[in-house]
Amino acid sequence: MDANLETAQNTSVVRRNLERLYLVSGWLAATCIGLICLLVLIQVSLNAIDRISGLLTGTAIGLTIPSYADFTGFFLAAASFLALAYTLRQGEHIRVTLFLSHCRPKVQHLLDVWGLLMAGGVTLYFSWYTFLLVRESYLYHDLSPGMIAVPIWIPQSAMLLGLIVLAIALIDGLVSTILNGSASVNTEATEHPPCQK
Amino acid sequence: MSEISMTLLLLLVLFVLLGSGIWVAFSLLGVGLIGMALFTDAPLGEVLATTVWGASNSWSLAALPLFVWMGEILFRSRLSEDMFAGLSPWLTHLPGRLLHVNILGSGIFAAVSGSSAATAATIGKMSIPELGKRGYPQSMIIGTLAGSATLGLLIPPSIILIVYGVATEQSIARLFIGGVLPGLLLIVMFMGYVVIWSMLHAGEIPGGEEKVPFGEKVKRSRRLIPVILLITGVIGSIYSGIASPTDAAAVGVALSLVLSKFTGTLNRQTFLAGLLGATKTSCMIAFILAGAAFLTVAMAFTGIPSMLASWIAALNLSHYALLGALTIFFVILGCFLDGISVVVLTTSVIMPMVEQAGIDPFWFGIFVVIVVEMSQITPPVGFNLFVIQGLTGLDILRVAYAAVPFFLLLLIALALIVVFPSIVTLLPDMMGG
Repeated sequence: MDANLETAQNTSVVRRNLERLYLVSGWLAATCIGLICLLVLIQVSLNAIDRISGLLTGTAIGLTIPSYADFTGFFLAAASFLALAYTLRQGEHIRVTLFLSHCRPKVQHLLDVWGLLMAGGVTLYFSWYTFLLVRESYLYHDLSPGMIAVPIWIPQSAMLLGLIVLAIALIDGLVSTILNGSASVNTEATEHPPCQK
Repeated sequence: MSEISMTLLLLLVLFVLLGSGIWVAFSLLGVGLIGMALFTDAPLGEVLATTVWGASNSWSLAALPLFVWMGEILFRSRLSEDMFAGLSPWLTHLPGRLLHVNILGSGIFAAVSGSSAATAATIGKMSIPELGKRGYPQSMIIGTLAGSATLGLLIPPSIILIVYGVATEQSIARLFIGGVLPGLLLIVMFMGYVVIWSMLHAGEIPGGEEKVPFGEKVKRSRRLIPVILLITGVIGSIYSGIASPTDAAAVGVALSLVLSKFTGTLNRQTFLAGLLGATKTSCMIAFILAGAAFLTVAMAFTGIPSMLASWIAALNLSHYALLGALTIFFVILGCFLDGISVVVLTTSVIMPMVEQAGIDPFWFGIFVVIVVEMSQITPPVGFNLFVIQGLTGLDILRVAYAAVPFFLLLLIALALIVVFPSIVTLLPDMMGG
């Protein structure tokens, strides 16, 4: 087989798997948001049943999902971080494109590289210290304060995972920008979808 | 290094990062990191990880994705058609006629959606072509739409008030209720302006709407009834203290799904698109909030905000002078930045100064939101302008020019809440729970 063709195929396999990684973590995040809604709805229904039974029998049963506020918070953190890479790929993180869009293409390209370098650096640094945080929580058996004490490293790992996928997406964007001369990250973010802001 | 040059240096760093096209959240993190590294001995990475973790897992912030989701679901429903058909027969006797559809429609959609751009898109999708077809003056069509769509930010549920509440540890429920009266005040002012303008330019408002009997009017607006019930349910339960904003948001999502099921717009595809859209938007905002939380802590380490606060205190400015200066500052900032970024920058740096001056931070939240509303219709960066530009294909400056009267009306409303702060505080003070 032609060596060039082989590399092209290899890169497209890598490309496909990377895109799948971003998409899967995006859907994981969406699932977390679905779960938040479900959890809160169940709690609201339990409250309602409680109130009605309180009116009927004079004593509330005290139905409640233990630590549901804690769990909601954990799902929210997981959703926010797991969606980072996917949101980046979709060009939905806000940036100021006012000056960028008036630059010559060559300058724009340089600024893209600079932005991805800076963001990638910050994300790697952030991931490393989040890793240390998770490790510390694990070693010291830190628990969440609620009725159901969850080892805090479990929800924190979702944050770490999201940051690592974001770091991969930024490095991916940096490599493609340098190789292809244009970012595979969607830089056409001036087009603002109506539901967003 | 003196504190003044410290502040100026960090401000410069922020503008360079933002201006060179770095994502807002990363710019905030970057400035925080540089500020802490240069001017403090605090353990940088540890503070970063702990602060962001602490800011991200929050019960009250969970209202954010849920309200965004609710707006996404209704955005994909038939609401904009229903709004036009349901509102227009009632408004034909008012001077300005169907122009009021833009204002009332925006007011109603604002009460189910937390975003001003979504409001502009939903209402404008239907009203721009319909009003254009009937020959209404174009500048008034786009002016009323651009101006009243900004109500999406103020009338609860409001994404930007959630952001402010979380960043300043104010009660989101109180902020929501605080936005109600100023929101209604603005609706009245906008409608009043349209009435006066139409009486002065009577020839430019086309007549010829069919006379619709009362029974028919009610029949045409019956599709709006579920939405009105949804609004009263969500706002009422928060006001009475039965439900927290997060609870109300979850119920709102469920009811919106039921509503769009009945109107036949809910299917697997729209459901998943709405959920994924909400995930992306709330991720974008949560990341900016995480950056802002870190920036707030980093700034507190450097001592800049308290230094600014005592500097302002030493100037002995009156409230009016301080608020005037802040308004000018925000309007300029808002020309280049989106509303959420303006709010989080305010909360990380300016809050201590505001509290030092004896301004109620709760009231200040509504004040900031009205200023941010103004920034939605100022060029070159104004999200309502972008949306209307997309809908009409008109030049952005043309849209901005049509919105100028509404910018001035917002300014008057701002002056009114400064002079009569009880417009903001009256309802929250009477809240249950």
